[in-house]
Amino acid sequence: MESANITPLLEAYFEGETTLAQEKILRAYFASDQVASEHAAYSPLFIGLQVAKEETMVQTITFPKQVKSRWWMGIAASAVIVLSVSAYVYNDSNKLTVEEQEALLAFNQSKEALFLLSKNLNKGSSALGNLNEFTNTTNKYFK
Amino acid sequence: MAELVMDQKEFLHTVLPFKDRLYRIAKRLLVSKDEAEDAVQEVFLKLWRGKQNIKKYRSPEAFAITMTKNYCLDRLKSKQAGNMKIVHTNYQTSENLEKKIEANDGVALVFKIMENLPEQQRMILQLRDVEEFEFTEIAKMLDSSETAIRVGLSRARKTVREQLIKKHNYGIC
Repeated sequence: MESANITPLLEAYFEGETTLAQEKILRAYFASDQVASEHAAYSPLFIGLQVAKEETMVQTITFPKQVKSRWWMGIAASAVIVLSVSAYVYNDSNKLTVEEQEALLAFNQSKEALFLLSKNLNKGSSALGNLNEFTNTTNKYFK
Repeated sequence: MAELVMDQKEFLHTVLPFKDRLYRIAKRLLVSKDEAEDAVQEVFLKLWRGKQNIKKYRSPEAFAITMTKNYCLDRLKSKQAGNMKIVHTNYQTSENLEKKIEANDGVALVFKIMENLPEQQRMILQLRDVEEFEFTEIAKMLDSSETAIRVGLSRARKTVREQLIKKHNYGIC
């Protein structure tokens, strides 16, 4: 386009009265090597706009992974929960606290002590049996 | 299940083509490249969460653009107290344009001028002169009237011209 036609187009442009097609003509004119000296001052504007158009975003967009819900996933999830809860409960009953362990030890010790006592007591009572025997025999004589 | 997978594909087909455009819009408002990328990622997640609704909109793109604008304006508002701006001037351009830029350090100045425009004008300039939308479309995206968009656009273009000419003349002197 001749530079003579550019001047009125430029004027309309700054008034916001050009069409998209006319604005394209202006950009093409300023991108060419035929820019008249009286228009040279506007070159940076139209070249800048052209530069701005070519900018692209390098970074890729990431979307959250789509969760495909399947019926067996729910069942598997509940099975895992049931198993872990029951395993925890089961484990817990086998574990004794320090206090409980001490109590058990004391219980065993006292059981052993009582056992020894009863053994000796039995010894004593069997001796008592001998005594009974003695009474029995003496009774034979004292009738 | 097959329906869900189709949905995802369909969603990506619908929204991914807007990616660069949303990025440019976010960058025009936030200036920083990193922040613009974060904003686009965030907008896409929002679109993803509401993907059942996206078909309801006559233009999913216009909807996404409005969403991006609102998100960026919110970011700017919450940032205002800190007043921090990390500027990354990192333009990817074709070789042809690169030569043009080198020959014309005024281009960098144009971007600087654009950064200082009021947010609404920046959005209008971006949507019209970079993304090439019709006035009716821009008016809908920005919830405004066609006349108001034209006025804002004219102001934005004139501000850039004014400051550019000022620098140009200084350069000559």
